[in-house]
Amino acid sequence: MKEITFRLKRPLKVPVDASCISPDILGDKTNEEILSFELWEGNRKIHLSDIFTVEGDAHTSSDDLEIRLVGDMKKVRRIGRGMMTGSIEVKGDVGMHLGEEMASGRIIVNGNAGSWVGSRMKGGSIEIHGNAGDFVGSAYRGSRNGMKGGSIVIEGNAGAEIGCWMRGGLVRVKGKTGTFPGVHMSNGTVLVEGDCEGRAGAQMTGGKVVVLGSLPSILPSFVFEEIRDKVKVTEEKLSGPFYTFLGDVNENGSGRLSVKVSSNPQLKWCESYVETLED
Amino acid sequence: MTALSEKIISDVVCTICGTGCDDLQIRIKDGKIIEAKNACAVSISKFLEQHAQRYSSPMIRRDGELKCASFDEAVCKAATILSESRYPILLGWSLTSAEATCIGVELAELVGGVVDNNTGFCHGPGLIGAQDIGVSTCTLGEVRHRADVVVYWGANPIHAHPRHIARYTVLSKGRFREGRKERKMIVVDVRKTDTARMADLFIQIEPNGDYELLSALRMAVKGEELEQQVIAGVSSERIEELADLLVRCEFGIIFYGVGLTMSRGKSRNLDAALSLVRDLNRSTKFLIMPMRGHFNVCGANEVTSWITGYPYAVDLSRGYPFYNPGETSAVDILSRRECDAALVVSSDPVSHLPYSVAKYLSEIPLVTMDPHVTATTMVSDVAFPTAIMGIEASGSLYRMDGVVLECKKLLDPPQSVKSDVDVLRAILDRVKSLKGA
Amino acid sequence: MSELLVRNGYVYDPLNRINGEKMDIAIRNGIVVDDVGSSAKLVDASGMIVMPGGVDIHSHIAGSKVNLARMIRPEDHERDVESRTSITRAGVGRSIPSTFTTGYRYARMGYTTVFEPATPPMKTRHTHEELNDTPMIDKGCFPLLGNNWFVMDYLREGKLEECAAYVAWMLKATKGYAIKLVNPGGVEAWGWGKYLTGLDDPVPRFDITPREIVRGLCKINTYLNLPHPIHVHTNDLARAGNYETTIKTMDCVRDLYHGGKPIIHITHVQFTGRSGTDWINVASGAPEIADYVNKHEHVDIDIGQIIFTDTTTMTADGSFQFLLHLISGNKWANTDVEAETGGGIVPFHYKKSNYVNCIQWGIGLELALMIKDPWRVQMTTDHPNAGPFTEYPRIIAWLMSREARGRVARKLNKSAHRRLDVPGLDREYSFYEIAIATRAATAKTLGLKQKGHLGLGADGDISIYAIDPTTINPSRQYKLVRRAFRKAVYTIKEGKILVKNGEVVDTVPGKTFWVDPKVPQDTYEKMLSNLERKFEDYYTMQMSNYPIGEEYLLASKKIETVAGS
Repeated sequence: MKEITFRLKRPLKVPVDASCISPDILGDKTNEEILSFELWEGNRKIHLSDIFTVEGDAHTSSDDLEIRLVGDMKKVRRIGRGMMTGSIEVKGDVGMHLGEEMASGRIIVNGNAGSWVGSRMKGGSIEIHGNAGDFVGSAYRGSRNGMKGGSIVIEGNAGAEIGCWMRGGLVRVKGKTGTFPGVHMSNGTVLVEGDCEGRAGAQMTGGKVVVLGSLPSILPSFVFEEIRDKVKVTEEKLSGPFYTFLGDVNENGSGRLSVKVSSNPQLKWCESYVETLED
Repeated sequence: MTALSEKIISDVVCTICGTGCDDLQIRIKDGKIIEAKNACAVSISKFLEQHAQRYSSPMIRRDGELKCASFDEAVCKAATILSESRYPILLGWSLTSAEATCIGVELAELVGGVVDNNTGFCHGPGLIGAQDIGVSTCTLGEVRHRADVVVYWGANPIHAHPRHIARYTVLSKGRFREGRKERKMIVVDVRKTDTARMADLFIQIEPNGDYELLSALRMAVKGEELEQQVIAGVSSERIEELADLLVRCEFGIIFYGVGLTMSRGKSRNLDAALSLVRDLNRSTKFLIMPMRGHFNVCGANEVTSWITGYPYAVDLSRGYPFYNPGETSAVDILSRRECDAALVVSSDPVSHLPYSVAKYLSEIPLVTMDPHVTATTMVSDVAFPTAIMGIEASGSLYRMDGVVLECKKLLDPPQSVKSDVDVLRAILDRVKSLKGA
Repeated sequence: MSELLVRNGYVYDPLNRINGEKMDIAIRNGIVVDDVGSSAKLVDASGMIVMPGGVDIHSHIAGSKVNLARMIRPEDHERDVESRTSITRAGVGRSIPSTFTTGYRYARMGYTTVFEPATPPMKTRHTHEELNDTPMIDKGCFPLLGNNWFVMDYLREGKLEECAAYVAWMLKATKGYAIKLVNPGGVEAWGWGKYLTGLDDPVPRFDITPREIVRGLCKINTYLNLPHPIHVHTNDLARAGNYETTIKTMDCVRDLYHGGKPIIHITHVQFTGRSGTDWINVASGAPEIADYVNKHEHVDIDIGQIIFTDTTTMTADGSFQFLLHLISGNKWANTDVEAETGGGIVPFHYKKSNYVNCIQWGIGLELALMIKDPWRVQMTTDHPNAGPFTEYPRIIAWLMSREARGRVARKLNKSAHRRLDVPGLDREYSFYEIAIATRAATAKTLGLKQKGHLGLGADGDISIYAIDPTTINPSRQYKLVRRAFRKAVYTIKEGKILVKNGEVVDTVPGKTFWVDPKVPQDTYEKMLSNLERKFEDYYTMQMSNYPIGEEYLLASKKIETVAGS
């Protein structure tokens, strides 16, 4: 096994662009080479050795590299960008754009993550044990190419617009989310196990948004479809029952928004549509 | 131009809001403005009180107090602060000329900082929405000539853009529209504002319900039935009535204000509004325009875009432009306490932004440029008094519809006060020599 | 006094009939001269091609709709960035580069003059602000007049001379270079969300037809002795079988031609060169158009060649842009301008799997290969509509090599491949003809006497490419040709070396060309008083604030003409 540990050796103030911290890039380098890698700290180029100490050896075998990062990485951005092999574990909080464009491999964070976790991800897995910010699995501004594959699991809460322009894969939040989960999604699944602030599935054209907690209201552009006993999220079957809506009609969408009945008494109004359909 | 006689300058461009009135007639006597014909209630004080709350000497903070300094000293200090900084922000640009912003962007590039303008806490959502959907818009004259339906959404022009309605919309006369009787005015707002009192149809919306209402409107415009009876406090019948008006018009436009951009949803509110307007173009001619508040925030967007590719929140710290509002917007950088120096040009963030942000600004090295003494001036480390654009300095501005107007210099600034362009150029040159460029 | 000598290169200067001759070019104080002294700076061009600097007749690089496109397409720029250097400013690409980057990228390819072909007059101050920030190239812009209310009113009333005086005023007020027409009459209809078909639909509420607008402005253009003919983006751009409209437009001014240089320039004919009745059976109308151009000398064109890539469409043709949005589902921007014109933006990706895109690809090349007179078919991509200008070297390779075309043709949608003539066309451009299509002809049609050639008195704008024409066979070695045209070994602008081996080593701001036509004083005054009366009715801007002063241009280059005779 091949692993190295980076320890942050001083506090950071201005943002650090650490896109070189990826198993693909560091995989076959010696520790000396690794420490001399350049990265941006604000507008200055520094070496990895300026802010990290390194233990372990990346060079030992041809196995995939496991990178461990220890310290408060809140200002460190783009860790694991585009990675295709190996794994990264962060013991602490981590900054924005974690695992952006990742294609394979595994990232685990034992802390909170900034916004844009797994943005444009194509494969692999990301686990955040704390909270995440906004735009989990999203596209870049102006683009429709959101997350395409892979899975992102947030143990805590997440912010707004998770799964924005998503095209595939899974985003699962065990806590609460902000507004607009799944906005503009065309495929894939967003699962919110806690409460959602609102506007779930806005402007979706396909895919699935599932809310187990409370969702204050349904957008007017979603039409009630049916009450379902179970809803499938990847291989798992979640027990309902669920109010399921089709939308977003404004986008001629065929996405499905499923909301757990027991958590949402305020949505009882849609049951009148069940009777109508049965008539 | 300190003539003792009286003179009148016509076709003066007003430098208050995005309405861009250029028909002001200014009377000057003994080097002071004594009359501003055609100026609205908001702008008249700017012209007549042009001399108020001015300071004439640059200042540097020494031993905790702001003290007068020479121009060269202040330039040196400012240049040192910016060039030594590892992540400076250069903020403002919305109340100055396009020429000044050009230099500002170059300065940001040279010092490796972030250049941002008021868009970030004002109309940014409209730009972000347009980046997803696009935008169907026009120049203001198109509205005057053609519009039979005018919607003000989350905007109160009677107070914020006083001449807008008479110059361009409901009370104006165009080639194809006689005036009020040929136009319908619709106002959507959370309360009955003075503008709403003028409207033919006033829709009172629940606060923060804009996204839902727009979503419902889109459904109604498409001819889809609404399942819910009341949306955002508005009945489905009312929504259908409004949709009908919009679809049946010959030429309609939505003017929106911060009531839409800053209420819950922000850029997604605009996404929905832009999508509604786009959808309406399948049935009729429909457009949308933001009611820009600051007279040259549009100019700041335009200049920043043509030089960097992006309209605001541009991070040049890595040598090339990078844009990601939320990450690279000045307000967010300040609230995360990430920048280590700031230049603020013709803006007063200490007065207008949240306390924590204002407090942080006072803790980092801060250079300000403003014609007046503001709260931000008071916490600066270096402060430059500057000439008022459009009165004491010429320059170009971009109206809310993107039309460029050239502002004249009407009279000299107070003794030794320089224009933004001159101050910025001096700082830029000094930074260049510090960096050996 | 600065002197430069370009030694020993193979010179292609078609305007002076020089076809690959080995010779020296001498420059003193920015102008081509007979010879220079021994202390002149030497540039060794041995074994390389020397051409006049490239002249691009039609490229959307500056102004309000270009900038709006930049603003709404951050995803276009994100991957393609240029860092600041000690000589160059930072910037972004791809299909809508920022202004400094635009200048550098043109210069790297050996281009030294570029024209922005469509500026809304009311917003042209903005265009000039951007052109001022576009270094390395000389430039100019064409104000849009084909939907202008004053023009339409004058022409309807038959007041040709007064209209000419107005156009003269407009060119001076906007510091514009040529009369541009885009979907004449049709964009005014689009002001109401309506469409016109063909040349004879009357413009709603204006009671004038596109035909009358084209003819009127053509007459005015000749009367004002403007250096460039009317520059026309024809009606019906969205229609499947629009080649007919293109030919009708060319033909509608045929009777106004009395010999000499062409009186109408039709732009990006690829977009308006389709045959067929709908999007299923659309095919190439290039053979018919080529036939017409071959038989009629009053017309010249530029092709607007498609590149298979993700790019951005942007034109003043608002109605077309909305239709493109409906077809593609991509984001859409619209920018109507009071009393003058309109505009639209839609990102678009041309794909080899798409039947229509393949037909479009074929049309551009068929025009270039079937029109016999190389002086009347010029190379453009209508940047960025059919593709970014940085892809010009790819088109050069296609023009010079049947094999290069064939490689692409084999990957085309099969039905399109079957219906196009281009796979069977043998013709291959020579270096001489490439020099015509990219410099000499464009400069000539623009009426720029000091550009596009290297004769005595010409501006010392030179590009040198790493191709030895005596040893390279461009037909087979097209990849080398493409590579060479991407990065000039030298780009020289008025005797100053700006680019070396594809890298910018120095910068210049570049001059802005504009035209100031003189008309009879009494007509001018009559026009002015009419204008003053009507200005406030038509515009939301005071008349005195409308004209742009010459001092606004960073470096102004005025061309004066006199109306009449």
